[in-house]
Amino acid sequence: MNRMPILSLRDVHKSFGQTPIIRGVDLDIVPGERHALIGPNGAGKSTLFHLISGQIAPTRGKIDLDGRPIQGLPAQQVNRLGLARSFQITNVFPGLTVFENLRLAAMRPYGLQYVFWTLIKTRRRITAQVEQLLEQVRLQARADTLASELSYSEQRSLEIAMTLASDPKVIMLDEPMAGMSNEETDYTLALIREVTQGRTLLIVEHDMNVVFTLGDRISVLVYGRIIATGTPDEIRNNGLVKEAYLGEEMAQ
Amino acid sequence: MKIRRLLLLAAIIGLVLVPVLLSQSLINAAIQMLIASLFACAFSLLCGQGGMLSFGHAAYFGVGAFATVHAMNAFGGAGLLPTPFLPLVGAAMGLVVGLIAGWFATKRTGVYFAMITLALAELLYALAPHIKGWFGGEAGVSSMRMPAFGLSFGSNTQVYYLTLAWVLVSLGLLYLFTLTPLGRLTLGLRENARRLSFLGYDVHRVSVLVFAISAMFSGIAGSLQALNMEAANYVIFDLQGSAEVLLNSFIGGVTVFLGPALGAALMTFFGYLVSDMTHAWLLYKGLLFVVVMLFIPRGIAGLVQSVTADIRRQGLARMAPSMALYVAASILLMAGTVYLVEMLQRFFSQDYRSLAALNGKGWPPIAVFGSHWAPTSVLTWAAPILALIAGLAVLRLAHARWTSILENEEGVQTLLARDSAAARGQP
Repeated sequence: MNRMPILSLRDVHKSFGQTPIIRGVDLDIVPGERHALIGPNGAGKSTLFHLISGQIAPTRGKIDLDGRPIQGLPAQQVNRLGLARSFQITNVFPGLTVFENLRLAAMRPYGLQYVFWTLIKTRRRITAQVEQLLEQVRLQARADTLASELSYSEQRSLEIAMTLASDPKVIMLDEPMAGMSNEETDYTLALIREVTQGRTLLIVEHDMNVVFTLGDRISVLVYGRIIATGTPDEIRNNGLVKEAYLGEEMAQ
Repeated sequence: MKIRRLLLLAAIIGLVLVPVLLSQSLINAAIQMLIASLFACAFSLLCGQGGMLSFGHAAYFGVGAFATVHAMNAFGGAGLLPTPFLPLVGAAMGLVVGLIAGWFATKRTGVYFAMITLALAELLYALAPHIKGWFGGEAGVSSMRMPAFGLSFGSNTQVYYLTLAWVLVSLGLLYLFTLTPLGRLTLGLRENARRLSFLGYDVHRVSVLVFAISAMFSGIAGSLQALNMEAANYVIFDLQGSAEVLLNSFIGGVTVFLGPALGAALMTFFGYLVSDMTHAWLLYKGLLFVVVMLFIPRGIAGLVQSVTADIRRQGLARMAPSMALYVAASILLMAGTVYLVEMLQRFFSQDYRSLAALNGKGWPPIAVFGSHWAPTSVLTWAAPILALIAGLAVLRLAHARWTSILENEEGVQTLLARDSAAARGQP
């Protein structure tokens, strides 16, 4: 764990008007780890995701991706520097086929976005990559189905495949299991484990079971501050965490 | 797929044969139809595929037309380019103006985008009559087609073939565009622009490009219009042009590539046919639009698509009775509506009022549909109302039949599903 962090946050703040939401977050994600971010509702997990992925700019503080500052950059630039994210609410192209969804995602690194003089069919490598992605998330049979006609967990699989498509350095998944049945959760957990092999993952999830089995390290965010970071065991036995977060769950 | 290709081939052959088969005035109408088709397809690239509803596309059509007229007048009337290549000037002008206008308009989406396009077009419409050097004031700018490559371009027929060639090539290019990376991204823009930016795309730049390409093809359409008319007038920028292309596209159906072209061709022909027959033709046009939007929101092309899909699934034999009923209902409803509209329009017209006043004794009969109807007779008003009621009744019947066919099919499918489940040994 002594390696250079691939994603590092230093004293990141975000206020909406007078209300501070993120109040000085320091976080280091090292290459190749699966890092889970947990915290009670309203702790600022989604806001932190938005800050990192470029949807909103931090009020102050520093965010580095692989040594390059990315705070305040627009979303598309953050993505191009190697960070891809999924969304809490399914966010795909509903009126397009699964294949087309993935092709749009896979096409970007080839720099074809302004190209209107070649047919996309002739780019065999993109097609091959899309087929590989379809296989990875087991959606081959659904390639020609409209994304809006997929089942919920299939849509989440598609979403995960889309974040993988640009071969990013860091993948961020925002509550990929939200609203899933137990079976679907198990399936998606296995899928995430498989496709993030050898990649860096930052995940927000409410399902403690998922967090403790998937995460190499866990950070706990409470009221806009990280109160603890450590291995699952360390977190489980951390008094502060129990009090602030797990205790709350136990009391229920 | 094969059938579609054959149909396309037949349509092209039909279009090539038009000047041989039709009279001079119909050739002129056909030219208008072709131009409107290209304009509608160019508009639909932005609106149907890109999901950006422009309320000001007449602007790009107009600048294409004016650029072409000026190009025709260049070098003391010799022309900037040989006549057949003049649409390139319209294309270039449309592209440049589209890039500039698009850069501003695509900064916003949805309603705000529509408002900006509307404002830009209205700005041009308001400014144009005051810039005499460019737009020729109220009188407009006129010109002459010069002969080129041994062709005089003096007859309607030659202009028709020139227009046809440009429209076919442009439509072909617009279709190929949908198969390119940028063309695919255009669909993503419509579906979920925000997601595109999280995939690393610069949404604004992509939008500007799509806008400019749409404007460029609109410019070609405007250019063909100028070539045909040998003139351009600032009224070309009127909001009516922008509204017309929008209505045409939606009536045709923006979800199918050639839908807008079909809608524009039909509506232009409808205008040509009906505008001579009745004063109320704009009302009919409006009614048609409302009915299409209410009952077949995917337009004529969408309707054709779903009907052919149903025929394939159900077989023509099962479909035919309900389809015949639908047709009968439409005819009854149309006849009733047209009669009522014509009757009322004549009844309330100035001419009829003065006639009645001069007559002195009551209301003289009104001529509609080749016979005379007394406005005081019950039959005169009962006939259309009965036709409307009968039309509605037949419509309900057709609808009931149709739903029962669909429900039956669902029943069959659940049975089949149960059978196959049983075959797999599941409950």
